[in-house]
Amino acid sequence: MTSEAKVDQLYGYVQKRCLWQFFSRSWDRQENIDGVLGIAADLLTGKELTLETPQQRLFYADAKIMVRDFKERFPWIDEAGPAQVRDMLNGLKARLVDIAITGSKNRELHHSLY
Amino acid sequence: MPMVLLKCDKDIPEREKHIYLKAPDEDTRDFLPLSNAATIPGTLSERGCAFCGAKLVIGGVLKDTIQMIHGPLGCAYDTWHTKRYPSDNGHFQMKYVWSTDMKESHIVFGGEKRLEKSMHEAFDAMPDVKRMIVYTTCPTALIGDDIKAVAKKVMAARPDVDIFTVECPGFSGVSQSKGHHVLNIGWVNEKVGTVEPEITSEYTINFIGDYNIQGDTQLLQQYWDKLGIQVIAHFTGNANYDDLRGMHRAKLNVVNCARSAGYIANELKKQYGIPRLDIDSWGFNYMAEGIRKICAFFGIEEKGEALIAEEYAKWKPKLDWYKERLKGTKMAIWTGGPRLWHWTKSVEDDLGVQVVAMSSKFGHEEDFEKVIARGQEGTYYIDDGNELEFFEIIDLVKPDVIFTGPRVGELVKKLHIPYVNGHAYHNGPYMGFEGFVNLARDMHNAVHNPLLKLAATDIRGTTTPAQFKEAAE
Amino acid sequence: MGCEITAKDRAGIINPMFDCQPAGAQYAGIGVKDSIPLVHGGQGCSMFVRLLFAQHFKENFDIASTSLHEESAVFGGNKRIEEGVEVLARRYPNLRMIQIITTCSTEVIGDDVEGSINVCNRKLKEIFPDRKIHLVPVHTPSFKGSHVSGYDECVKAMVKTLATHKAKPNGKLNVFPGWVNPGDVALLKSYLKEMGIDATVLMDTEDFDSPMMPDKSIQTHGLTTVEDLAGTPNAVGSIALARYEGGSAAEYLRDEFEVPCVVGPTPYGIANTDAMLQNISRLTGKPIPESLVRERGIALDALQDLAHMFFADKKVAIFGHADLVIGLAEFCREVQLKPVLLLLGDDNSKYKKDPRILALKNSVDHDMEVVCNADLWELERRIRDKEIELDLIMGHSKGRYIAIDANIPMVRVGFPSFDRAGLYRKPTIGYKGAMELGESIANALFTHMEYTRDREWILNTW
Repeated sequence: MTSEAKVDQLYGYVQKRCLWQFFSRSWDRQENIDGVLGIAADLLTGKELTLETPQQRLFYADAKIMVRDFKERFPWIDEAGPAQVRDMLNGLKARLVDIAITGSKNRELHHSLY
Repeated sequence: MPMVLLKCDKDIPEREKHIYLKAPDEDTRDFLPLSNAATIPGTLSERGCAFCGAKLVIGGVLKDTIQMIHGPLGCAYDTWHTKRYPSDNGHFQMKYVWSTDMKESHIVFGGEKRLEKSMHEAFDAMPDVKRMIVYTTCPTALIGDDIKAVAKKVMAARPDVDIFTVECPGFSGVSQSKGHHVLNIGWVNEKVGTVEPEITSEYTINFIGDYNIQGDTQLLQQYWDKLGIQVIAHFTGNANYDDLRGMHRAKLNVVNCARSAGYIANELKKQYGIPRLDIDSWGFNYMAEGIRKICAFFGIEEKGEALIAEEYAKWKPKLDWYKERLKGTKMAIWTGGPRLWHWTKSVEDDLGVQVVAMSSKFGHEEDFEKVIARGQEGTYYIDDGNELEFFEIIDLVKPDVIFTGPRVGELVKKLHIPYVNGHAYHNGPYMGFEGFVNLARDMHNAVHNPLLKLAATDIRGTTTPAQFKEAAE
Repeated sequence: MGCEITAKDRAGIINPMFDCQPAGAQYAGIGVKDSIPLVHGGQGCSMFVRLLFAQHFKENFDIASTSLHEESAVFGGNKRIEEGVEVLARRYPNLRMIQIITTCSTEVIGDDVEGSINVCNRKLKEIFPDRKIHLVPVHTPSFKGSHVSGYDECVKAMVKTLATHKAKPNGKLNVFPGWVNPGDVALLKSYLKEMGIDATVLMDTEDFDSPMMPDKSIQTHGLTTVEDLAGTPNAVGSIALARYEGGSAAEYLRDEFEVPCVVGPTPYGIANTDAMLQNISRLTGKPIPESLVRERGIALDALQDLAHMFFADKKVAIFGHADLVIGLAEFCREVQLKPVLLLLGDDNSKYKKDPRILALKNSVDHDMEVVCNADLWELERRIRDKEIELDLIMGHSKGRYIAIDANIPMVRVGFPSFDRAGLYRKPTIGYKGAMELGESIANALFTHMEYTRDREWILNTW
């Protein structure tokens, strides 16, 4: 399986299941994508987590459930090394930023107020 | 496949921007229905007004609050007896509605005195009730009555009462959605932080965007109790006015309906640093996922797993019984907006049901991003669908059941299609594990209603009366 | 002993008895075949009213909105009317009438509906040279009257717009039944048929109770046609069964085209039905047939079993449309029920001078109060404060919780009645209606006796 196909699988999962990518404004979406995928990378590569703020704890909660599902649905992820995991998550992040922010047709994303 | 111009819309071609048929290898970067845009006059849209979005959907749910509607009597009459949101105090909020009964002279000379008098009368009539929301309506907004000033005056005269004002007349915005927004932002700016709640657990949440439809809130409360989680405020199912003034003290905001109440969650994040977690409370694997996330946030994962195991043991076999019988059922969802994305994948995953068409009254483009990501190919995604479009879509996708409101339900009955109340439910609650079994049961009973077959039968058949007579002889 | 006529002394309303004028106008509007009312106001003004009709009739009705938004509130909404009319005309090829119904907002803004209609007429003529769509201006600001006066206003507006001239007499009778149910209209039409009378029923809502058909056709619509309305000046006479619901249209035809007219009485109960049939007979010269004498006898026979044994001295509160409440009070007195409290909603100042109210006032031999401009709190408060003791409440479903919480039997009658099945199909007017209503009252009292174990054993041998 190509790494692109693997990113496709991860992306398909997130699109179908994760509401955090669809928050109201572009900055919320960016923050969530960075936050959740950042902690997901730490979880998948066995890095120690530092959860200082309530927001980080929430990213952790979202990432934890996602990573659990990744492992269950995509067995190849356990065989990937840390660098490969980071690459794939970076690829996923780029795809999510594109669909949810830069490529989004949602006209409300950039309002300055909620 | 790009956007779709239906035959019935040939004279209003701008409708093409609002109807999307999903095809393989497309996503929301390519096509996204235009939404939260003005309705074309005369189209027989399903939309309501901003006032009802504030009063009927959110504010009117509060179980201890006088709903004073400053305007002619109709706005009060129409937003009463149109919802199924019970409460644990005898359903005060469903029994009463208040109007200042504006007359022509008040339109000419101003209605503030009338409002003040009506507010005092309302408190006098029910001396135990100390909370009130005042709403403007189209005419009182047009004549410029200052309801905030009147509220201040009444609060000064009655130190033990608290009053909140909502200024979103029916003509503001393009749908109910504007009213959700005005109420959310007003409340967080004016009322949150004015009461300190009693904290009884280290795990505290606000549960936002759930209106206790047929007891949803009360069903989910069983879960929070089992998990030892204190819900400081339900926004606004089965809630007291003062509960919502203490929302700033929760550690986590859990959001179900992001459309009607995402705003307050965003503001609570911005102003008080409370993180916002969006979940789906309808569906088995969604509900379990929501519980897992909340428990992961608080570090009480074992409790969460125990609750999920217990609930699955109790309800999953029942759900599977229905799944066996519902597999392949074609469903249409014509509701407000969020239920499209809450339901499309949960009925698919949990019940094997295929959602073939969805229409949203007041969803925004954000809602369509969600539903198109989750929904199937070959499915229609419609913003602000109107009656002729519904007929045409029904012909195209031939649904077995439609989740929609009672009026459209009566309409599709003539086409021999059963409806289940997608707003107020048939026999709910529908949230949570038990609730989703209720939804499955109601869908099953609708689809298997024997009358539908009888309705399709023409007793004249192909035989003429003479032939019947012959056969009898 | 005596009757007091009072009015609500509060400014505000707690639990309104009625919806606003545009709602009533919409109800009258859907009574016309091939018409779609266009409500000029916010979307809620039609959406909720459609829901209300759906609740009562368990049917869908087509009503459109001009979807007034902010910019119209600032710059005027005439363009929305013109666009709405054109969209309706283009998308509904069989459409023959659009009632343009104003609301509080568009009356405050001061939109020129008549001006818009002129613009639309020119445009429609251009687009559809072979089609005539009648545009009817209906001015129903919500800050006047209630859905009752809105209904009256819309019926009158349609007659005024369509009945432009008197032509050859058509021998027909104009019948304005008022705001009644399909079951009432069906019964009324059967009476007219039995009398051999060709009648124009305005509005003919019989098909508001419509079938599920094998061919999936939708037959839920009014039966009164554009031609019916246009022909009203040529009738031998008009009879309006409700003074406040269609009465003004009958009077308009009298004043403008010299069509003889009788307004009232509203045919609830035996004597009122007698008067209706005698009036119809007088206007048309047709005799009352034996079959109706017989139906009358059947009703009397049934009510006789109930009146002095079960109904006598039972105290009743009645709320709803003035014509209905007055008619029901008169019916109650025929069957020995005691109407002790009548709640007439809205601020119509004519109610307290209504000759029927004055007649009741002069003839009751028990305490009775008539509350004008009433809301449902007037009823609830009197019960809570024990100012009144009731054996029965008669009224529409919006008062259901008063009865439930106070544990008083309630018979649903009037509009809307959404919490009991099939009421729209049952007549309340006429002999048959009186009989069926009497039986509903009896059965409600009987069920209450059983649930409260109050001498339920009486029925062991009845």
